[in-house]
This record gives sequence, structure tokens and C-alpha cells, in this order.
Amino acid sequence: MRSQLQPLIELVDVTKDFGNIHALDHLSLTVSSGEIFGLIGPNGAGKTTALRIISTLVLPTSGTVSVFGLDVVQQAAEVRKIIAYLPEEAGVYRNLSGAEYLEFMANFSAGNKEETRAVVNEAAEICGLGDRLKSKAKTYSKGMKRRLLVARALMTKPKLAVLDEPASGLDVLYAYHVREIIKRYVKDHGVTVILSSHNMLEVEHLCDRVALLNRGKIVADGKPQELKERFDCANLEEVFAKVVGFA
Amino acid sequence: MRRWLDLLKGFGNVFVKELKELVRDPKILLGMIVIPLIMFPVLGALMGFSMESAKEQAEKASFLVLDNDQGNWSKVLINSFALYVRVDVVNDTQPQQVIDQNLLAKHNASQFLEIPPGFSANMTAYVNSNKTTKAEVNFYGVFSGTGIFEGIGSSMADNLVYQFNRGIAPDAVLSSKSSIIKGAIVTGVDPQTISSLMMSQAIAMPITIMILLSYSMQVAATSVAMEKEEKTLETLLTLPVDRFSILMGKLSGSILVAGVGALTYMIGFNFYMGSFYSAIPTGSLDLVALGLVPSVFGYALLAVSLFVTLLSALALAVIMSAFAEDVRGAQSLVGYVYLIVYIPSIVLMFADINMLPLPVRVLIYAIPFSHPIIASKAVIMGDYLTPTLGIIYVTTFTLVVMYAASRLFATEKILTAKLKFKRFGRRGKTQGELE
Repeated sequence: MRSQLQPLIELVDVTKDFGNIHALDHLSLTVSSGEIFGLIGPNGAGKTTALRIISTLVLPTSGTVSVFGLDVVQQAAEVRKIIAYLPEEAGVYRNLSGAEYLEFMANFSAGNKEETRAVVNEAAEICGLGDRLKSKAKTYSKGMKRRLLVARALMTKPKLAVLDEPASGLDVLYAYHVREIIKRYVKDHGVTVILSSHNMLEVEHLCDRVALLNRGKIVADGKPQELKERFDCANLEEVFAKVVGFA
Repeated sequence: MRRWLDLLKGFGNVFVKELKELVRDPKILLGMIVIPLIMFPVLGALMGFSMESAKEQAEKASFLVLDNDQGNWSKVLINSFALYVRVDVVNDTQPQQVIDQNLLAKHNASQFLEIPPGFSANMTAYVNSNKTTKAEVNFYGVFSGTGIFEGIGSSMADNLVYQFNRGIAPDAVLSSKSSIIKGAIVTGVDPQTISSLMMSQAIAMPITIMILLSYSMQVAATSVAMEKEEKTLETLLTLPVDRFSILMGKLSGSILVAGVGALTYMIGFNFYMGSFYSAIPTGSLDLVALGLVPSVFGYALLAVSLFVTLLSALALAVIMSAFAEDVRGAQSLVGYVYLIVYIPSIVLMFADINMLPLPVRVLIYAIPFSHPIIASKAVIMGDYLTPTLGIIYVTTFTLVVMYAASRLFATEKILTAKLKFKRFGRRGKTQGELE
């Protein structure tokens, strides 16, 4: 069913160097519209760098990256209108309440006050923080902040949601809740998602396709089931260990 | 006993860790140890150089005497002066002619004394036991600005007359004093009294500007560094908003907060200074009547000068903070800029810029943060050209800095730029940056 979807994100031969260190090494991948695509890999594999490039935060050293046909270098401002990026270690403004934070963020994309209110209400529903949205963010637990941030990323129903470790810091129940929301948004609103995760089970449960990254290169990619069959493994964790040579 | 030992052990452990962390932080090492070690000697050298130069100029300067008496006693008086200072004498010249014919500049003098007609006759009468007849001389001092040492000329005249009187009688010669303000003689107003009255401004303005600039730079640097520390900057930079808007929003917020901060400082400082200067006897002097209060246009120029300087300081702070990883780092980095904020403030508090040697003058003019202080002195004296040129210079500087700041915000450098301290810092990127 997904195979008929149009390519939305296209990375072609992308490299990114930080001084002498090659964070991305000729990386190429495509993500189709309406797909949930997972980037998995160990620390330092280049997952965050790839997501930051797609989100227009850092520039590729070479290669091209396009989102919905828009070049992330030449048309960065246009790209920012259709994406929402959730960094792995994102924070919220300590002295704003949760509701104020959402309103501040919604104001950038909403056309008027009614629209802002609707977007904030949507976010309130996603995060499920209820009356705590009136409290200052500095009183929130790590999990509450993460729920607020996930809600912020999805509330505008972006064409592309770039989520770096979306369930990081959440307990089992809320991690499940966030995964369900992501799935629902893809299904109901046609949001495309590219995410990174260390949690292989999460990726297996959530993603239509995954790419295994190691030292800035894709070492294997495909549907989770296909990968398990190809490498004759019970789960993605085993696939990964086998591919990078731990097993 | 064991509890105390545990306490001591815990204290020692934390203390050693804290020392290691602080000492190994190159920004703190530079900001708290190296910079003060540089700043104070530089400041001392500048002040010493300026004072030496001022002393040399004073030694070269003449004391102009208008001898309109040309009697025996006037010659005695002039000879008495000549024991202490270089005296240039002109005859039959009225005080107003000194100004009109620019005689002060021609004689390299900044003050003059008139021995009026009848001086010798009065002295002779006094000496011949008619103690009721007093001989009088008229001192005229040019008030040129708001330097702390403005009233020195007046004291010198008092001292010269005192030395003469010592040889005759304590009150043989009286001196009346007048000031020359903006080219006009204000009779009966001692330049030293005006100087005392203006002293609070001479000190308050540089200090207020110094506080305003350093405080607002801290606020601006902290606001960007806080975004980095709290991990909100990345999200902000991916939003559909022009990054120049983000920069301007941040700068404006900082200006407002800093402005309120500066206002409270100024109010508090005025009370503080008022408590000192209320004790200075100023008679019934009215600065407005003397023309020593800036005009509306002068105030407007001062406000513009302060605004563009503030903007340049904030933009500079934003750029500096982009190279820091957290609030502490940003504050340390911005601390380096204080060097060029404090030096002109302190130098200009004590000296008139026109009296400084050329290299120091060029240095002070080159520092953008000097200009509001220079402007504050100039507008009082009705000089609008100096502040205008200053505004043009600082605006150009600000535009360059703003352009650099906006470029920095438009690129990934706002996230990745870091100052490299090759001797102290780790080279290359951390794992977190590459992940």
C-alpha cells in the first residue's frame, strides 16, 4: 500500500564533516509521503546530524537534500513552513506555562487567534496535561516536558514531522501513548514522520521502514519484517548487532 | 568525631572537584584572572600617560595677566606670580577682548587674571595703614566641560594671590572670580563652584553608561545562552520565522529589560550622589540660567547616541554568546568586552578627551562605547557636531555588528560555533554533537 506513495524526503550522497570527523558519509535515502521512517544506530552513527540537516539546522558538506521537492539549503525558509522538528534534548521555556509555550509556538504558524486557540486545544489533547498546562514549565517532570514537546511538534499537523527520540524520557505508558498518537496523526492527517530511536522495539512497532546507520553510512534498510527475514533474526536488535558485527 | 571527619571528607571532595572544574574552564581562567591582570595595568598606564601629558601641558601653559593698571604694585604682583608659573602679560586689554581676539589660545592659556586700573593706588593706600581700602584682581576661568579636575585653574589663582598676600598681609589683595561659559563672561561665578555642581554629572554619566552597557550585555548574552542551555534554540530555529526577527526580538527584549534596569540604577545612583553633593555650597547658581543644561536637541542627540551604542553592545553580546555553550560560558565571554567598556568610562570620568594625548584620544574615539559619554559632555557645552559624528561612527559599527550577528543567526554556526582554546580545550567534536 505504501509503495505507491510519492517520495517526500530525498537525501542524495550527503556528507557532513565537523573538522576531521565525518558525521555522514555519502548517505542516500528516500522517505515516501505518509510513511513513518526510522533511523536507528548507535551513539555517534549520524542519526541526529541527518535529522538536523533535513530540519534546515545544519548544512550538508556535500550532496543534496530535498523535502517535498524543496531544497533544504536553497529554500530553507519554505521547508520550515511544512516541517516540525523535535530535538532529542529539547527543552521548554522555564518561566512560561505549558499553555503559554504552546500558544507562543502556535503563533508562528496560525493565521489568527481562533486558529491559535484551535491549535493549542489540539496540543492540549495530545499531551494530556490537563490543568497542569497552567503551571510554569519549570515545575514539570521530564516526562511532562516531553509530552508537551511532542504535542508541540504534532499540533500544527505538519507535512513532515522530524522526531529525534520522540519517546525519550517517557515511562512505558506514555511512550505507548506517544506512539499511538504518532500513528494516528499519520493515518488521520497524512503527516509523514522520520524519527530516530535507540529503542529497537519501538521502531519495530512504529515504523514502516527503517535504515540502520553506522559511522555515517546506511548498513541496511527495509521494512522491519524484511530485515528480520533477510538476516534471520528474531528482532531488529539482533539484526543490528549482526550488521555492525557485534554478533 | 567520626561525623566531623565525614563532613570534612565530603567538603574536601566537593572543594577539589569544584576547583578542578573552575580552573580547567579556560573562559573563567581568562575572565577572572588574566583579563583583570591586563585591564588594571592598561588602565593605570593610560591614566598615568594622560596625567603625565596633562602635567606637561600645564607646565607649558601660560597664565595670562591683563595689566590695566601698569603701576608699581601690579609689577610686583606679576613678578610674584612669575616665581610659580609662566606669566604672559598684555596691557590695556579688556576681558571681553581676550575672548573676541582669541588671546587665550594665542598665549597657550586657559585662564587669565585682570589687574584693574587703580590697583597700585589701592595697594599703596592699604600699605600706608588704610586697611579699609582693598586692592582687587579679577580672575576669569574657562569652563570647558565636566571633567573632575575642571576647577584646578581657580584654585591655582587663589594660591598665587595667597602667596603674594603672605608677603604683605593676609587680605591685602582680594580676587573676584568669573567664568567664561560658551564664550560669554558670567560675572561673579567661580568656575570651581560650577565644577563642583557639575561633578555629579561628570561621575554619574560614565558610571551609569558603564552599568547600563555591562548590564544589558549580560542580559542579551544570557538570553541567547539560556536558549542553548535549556535546549530551546534548536526548536526556535526550525520554526517558520525569519531568523532576523528572532534576533531583533531578542535584542529588543534585552533593551527593554536593560533599560528598566538602568533606570532603577540611575534613580538609586542619583540619590547616592545627591547625598554627597547636597553638602557642596553652590550659592544660588542656576545651571539652566548658565546654559549648562542640554537643550532638547542635545538630549535627543544623547538619547540616539545611547541607543545605537546600546544596540551595538547587545549585538556584540549576542555574537559572543553564540560561542558559549551555556549561561556561565556566555557571561565569562562577555566579561572580556567589559575591558573596552570600563576603560573609556573611567578615563573620561577624570579627563577631558581634548586634553588627552593623540594616541589615547584615537583609542578612546575608536571604542564605540566611549561615544555616549563624550556626547553627554559635548551637549552640555552646546557642541552638537561631536555627538553627531559619534552617532554616525557608532551606527556604522552597529550595522556591521548587526550584520555579523544576523549572518551568524542565519547559519548553523549559531549552534556549532565554539571558541577553541587550543592549550586548554579538547579538540574536535564531542560524541553528542555527532550523534
